[in-house]
Amino acid sequence: MPRVSLFSPPPGMTEGMRRARRHMLARTGLAWLGMMQIMMLAFPGYLRGGVRSAEAQTSLEQAIVLMNWTSLALCAPVVLYCAWPVWRGAWRDLARLRIGMDVPVALGILAAFIPSVHATWTDAGEVYFDSVSMFVAFLLTARYLETCARQAVSGQSGGFDEAPLLRSADRLAFWFVVVQILLAGLVGLYWLRAAPEHALAVTVALLVMSCPCAMSMSVPTALSARRAVQLREGGALGAEDARALDRATVRIARQNLHGSLAWHLLMTPLAALGWVQPWLAAITMLASSLAVAANAWRLTRMAGAGPAPLAQGIA
Amino acid sequence: MDALFLLLPISLLFVVGIGAAFWWAIFSGQFDDTQDAARAILRDDDGPQS
Repeated sequence: MPRVSLFSPPPGMTEGMRRARRHMLARTGLAWLGMMQIMMLAFPGYLRGGVRSAEAQTSLEQAIVLMNWTSLALCAPVVLYCAWPVWRGAWRDLARLRIGMDVPVALGILAAFIPSVHATWTDAGEVYFDSVSMFVAFLLTARYLETCARQAVSGQSGGFDEAPLLRSADRLAFWFVVVQILLAGLVGLYWLRAAPEHALAVTVALLVMSCPCAMSMSVPTALSARRAVQLREGGALGAEDARALDRATVRIARQNLHGSLAWHLLMTPLAALGWVQPWLAAITMLASSLAVAANAWRLTRMAGAGPAPLAQGIA
Repeated sequence: MDALFLLLPISLLFVVGIGAAFWWAIFSGQFDDTQDAARAILRDDDGPQS
């Protein structure tokens, strides 16, 4: 009775799958490493305005310049190397004249990174290196979980038709992204006229929020949890249990999908009002992704180990 | 303040070093299956050596 986790390599893993997994892990881990440094280096920037004496203000400004350049040195590899799958995906989408989830992500990264580089270069204005690196690290974490979940169920449906679920998730994510990009543009324009100094932060927060990582994880994680139950029980699943498991899988996938959508819809007005800073938007995004993974993995807990019939635990 | 000019590059060097070590560990396969090492001791072959 093997203990299966989301991260266990699936039986019959090919060399290509192993390589993809290692690359995803390397990008994710290095993004977290860079993020942790940049968050600390961003600290003096948040002290601006709280200083009383002119002398302290001068030395704080000097420190901020130094910190900004160091952050830039750390953030550039995060954006160029770690976020590479985003650039590749966005480019592929645009070349086919489609809008996938990589497009708003790429827009969000660019909208925060380029003005920050400019602010560092000219030594004027706010930098968002911490938000950029957090966004990339959290996004890659969600993607890594999704890669593991997809690999866990690859090539073996186990007598379950997941196509309708995946299709409805894709359709929902597509419309969500389109509406969110339009909304980010409109709200950004409004803020540009009303209060230009906040326009960038609000737009970036909305673009960060528009990343449907949790939604694109919702079905694969539920399927991989179902697969884990099947592997654990071996061939001992009765017909009754198998049906109960399928029903629970569909229910959990729906919960994930609609729960993450509701979470996004709840946060979007707050971001549009300017109450959500970009870094906070990145954290809420991570929270929803992790909640989706945890909810899916509840399936393995509900089903309960041991000889007791599954149907009771799940139903 | 002047100490920062020394400390920041040193911390950058450390970050690069740690990143390189992490990269090496991943691509030498140490994170491929974290449960494999624990399972391996149960799998060893105690039969007569040939």
